[in-house]
Amino acid sequence: MTRGIRLPRHCCLCFFTACVAAFAQDPVARGIEEFHQGKYEAAKATLEQVLKQKPSDAHARTFLALARAATGGCDAATTDLVEIFAQRKDADLRRLAGLALAQCHLARNHYDLALPITLELEKQFPADADVLYEAAKLHMKAWNDVVFQMFQKTPASYRVNQVSAEIFEVQGRYAEAAAEYRKAIEKNPRAINLHFRLGRALLMQSHAPETLAQARKEFEAELKLNSSDAVAEYEIGQILLAENKPQDAAPRFERALATSPDFGEALLAVAKMRADAKRYDDAIQLLERAVRLQPQNEAAHYNLMLAYRNAGRAADALREKAEIDKLQRPPAGEFTEFLKKLGEKAPNP
Amino acid sequence: MNKAAVLLAAALVAIVLLAVAFALDAPELPEFRNVAAQAGLVDWFPNGGTDSKKYIIETTGSGAAFIDYNNDGRLDIFLLSGPGGSNRLYRNEGNGHFTDVTEETGLASDGWSQGVCAGDFDNDGFTDLLVTSWGGLALYRNIGGKRFENVTKRAHLDQNRVRYNTGCAFLDYDNDGRLDIFVANYVKFDFATTPKPGENPYCWYRDVAVNCGPRGLPFDRNILYHNNGDGTFTDVSDASGVSKPDQSYCLSVLTGDFNQDGRADIFVACDQTPSLLYVNRGDGTFSEEALLRGAAFDENGKAMSGMGATSADFDGDGKPDIFRTNFSDERETLYRNRGSAEFDDVTLTAGMAHNTRYVGWGCGFLDFDNDGWKDLLLVNGHAFPEVDRLKIDIHYKDRAILYRNNGSGAFTDISQNAGPGILERHASRGAAFGDYDNDGSIEVLINNQNEPPSLLKAAHKPAGNWVILKLEGVRSNRSAIGARVRLTAGGRTQIDEVRSGGSYLSQNDFRLHFGLGRATRIKRVEIDWPSGQRQVERGIDGNRIVTIRETSAPVP
Repeated sequence: MTRGIRLPRHCCLCFFTACVAAFAQDPVARGIEEFHQGKYEAAKATLEQVLKQKPSDAHARTFLALARAATGGCDAATTDLVEIFAQRKDADLRRLAGLALAQCHLARNHYDLALPITLELEKQFPADADVLYEAAKLHMKAWNDVVFQMFQKTPASYRVNQVSAEIFEVQGRYAEAAAEYRKAIEKNPRAINLHFRLGRALLMQSHAPETLAQARKEFEAELKLNSSDAVAEYEIGQILLAENKPQDAAPRFERALATSPDFGEALLAVAKMRADAKRYDDAIQLLERAVRLQPQNEAAHYNLMLAYRNAGRAADALREKAEIDKLQRPPAGEFTEFLKKLGEKAPNP
Repeated sequence: MNKAAVLLAAALVAIVLLAVAFALDAPELPEFRNVAAQAGLVDWFPNGGTDSKKYIIETTGSGAAFIDYNNDGRLDIFLLSGPGGSNRLYRNEGNGHFTDVTEETGLASDGWSQGVCAGDFDNDGFTDLLVTSWGGLALYRNIGGKRFENVTKRAHLDQNRVRYNTGCAFLDYDNDGRLDIFVANYVKFDFATTPKPGENPYCWYRDVAVNCGPRGLPFDRNILYHNNGDGTFTDVSDASGVSKPDQSYCLSVLTGDFNQDGRADIFVACDQTPSLLYVNRGDGTFSEEALLRGAAFDENGKAMSGMGATSADFDGDGKPDIFRTNFSDERETLYRNRGSAEFDDVTLTAGMAHNTRYVGWGCGFLDFDNDGWKDLLLVNGHAFPEVDRLKIDIHYKDRAILYRNNGSGAFTDISQNAGPGILERHASRGAAFGDYDNDGSIEVLINNQNEPPSLLKAAHKPAGNWVILKLEGVRSNRSAIGARVRLTAGGRTQIDEVRSGGSYLSQNDFRLHFGLGRATRIKRVEIDWPSGQRQVERGIDGNRIVTIRETSAPVP
């Protein structure tokens, strides 16, 4: 059975809503109002009736297509939805039609058809929650389907263990993730990235000093398979620092940077070493490169600010401080209304 | 005496001397034991839920204090409580036992007490107390060491709305000889509007619904009260610039002359937001400069969940450094003062990178072995009891951490071998440091949530010599808060400062304790009083408590 798609309830179009009262007796306005109230069957009946008498009524046709899509009639709606999405000047209508169309394709697992529509919606409405939700749903559904196929068709493959481990990691179940990575490594000891992921899962799982040693072993194993893995080299450096072995950590960071000159974290680590050695000019050079590569990297800006300060370049330090102040500002809209509400209310005595 | 007897005696002396030398050279492991029950500290101090906490207010309390309220030369104990209990004052009987004198001294209370700080605000020679709470402040004037009078309203310290007051400190920021008050504020909180566990993304910890905040809750501002000298205070938060920062959730207050210009600065440890460093401009105003001075974040420019803070010159370079406790999955932070209150985060190089599973609160530098290098103790306990459901290596109740100062700019974690008192697991918060039995080694008083307090005492006398300096202001405030000491003995110079507040919402012994190592005599003690007077004392014997009164005599 085909389920009807769910259009956003708050998609009410101001123009049509405002007109409802004035056109209370107008069957088109009534149909649109029924649609906005979520009475899709009633809207469909009303608008079909209108189109029998006035086949050229564009509004009736548009909302009939939307009502059909919402009641499982994607087949009947698709042609009109395609036309509205492609040709209508009214952005609200285009958005609604696009969302309905994407949902219709997704309901039939037609990812190839849903994808271009979703991409176009994202282009036209980049900050629209409904559009972004629909895009996320598409990608998640596609991912789920492929993973399901992998489990069905290649259940003994190391990739199944790898993907299971990755899922456990996302869920914060690091012990299970580590166990799955180990199974994957056993099945394919030469596979790249498994040791690295295992090392990372181990670090997430426990704060015990012995875990650092285990994780380091895995990163070393990764490097044996892929000597150009700068991130594994960097992770070993970090572990050595945590173990209070800065002398041993230093060449690791240097190697990570030599392997991957644009690796921001390695740039930062080497710059810190230079700063610790009071080689502020060298540190500044590296950190300036890091902020050029990653302008949003707060750690790089922060260390550059301190390096300028320590080198006696007060004006440059202040400039970096201004950058950090900018980056530290909370994103617009982050619980703004909630915070405002709490802030304005006098607490109980 | 025949020749053989003389040789034998000489050999025995040599062995004894060797043994003493060995004892002083070999790293000494302390054995801290919790002697709270023997000392009569058996009352529980309730603070919100034990298995779960619905609101953030249940997580932050409460502080502890070592004060000598009756001037008998022995430290008494003051502990704060959440609802269902009372703040309690215990008198030190001098025999290792404390007696509850809460009722007779007028300190009984109810409510969400958070922090405590001490200072003689009226310069009458008796130490007064300030208690901060969610709800307001309570200023207790000490009446002749017999009882306390709540003078909050008379002192104009009653607040016009409910505030979440946390850390506090008495300080003489304008060096007029009268103690002013700084109070940190955490969040704007009330039971009616604060979301419940799980209600928004800030009410989760590792997929478990927990109490909400501080993220997602509105910020509040810190307060500075100026002492008018007539028993009243005036709120000068705006005029002084103290209220300007409005994006930090503030907890502990640590005062100190960090740029060594003779004026009290203020460091505030803040939760999930930048910590603050108010630099005293000397004209009655402060400038908040933590970011540029390197004391706001960790080494990666990330705001930590700062809880407690303490200060000492850990590396012996003559400049006061800062240590801050943080949340689990964060490192503690040790800021080394480069001079002029510019700091470097040296946590990693100091060997403090590995304890990332604890939520740290009270902390203090103490020289447990009297070797002249300040060691460090911090107490722990997670904010969320719910963390125990996760069955991971992060626990609601956890042990303390003791770092030995190696004297080389680095520390060694000796927690596992420092006695059962360190390894006991509690949901600890406030911690106060002081020598309650005047034996030259520092004890630690810890306020544990929903349990009796801990009183950690070293089982054995440390090998090194010591001195305790009790300073008394005359032109300066009587408590000598803000007085800075440079002590030279055995070829080394150490510094310290008399402070109110600090650790986590707690009050340490005002007296300054110095380990002297092998030195038995102090060559020179130089005191910079808040009045601007410099005083030098010479030739003080060690292993005693020495009272130094401010004089106006010229420096010899």
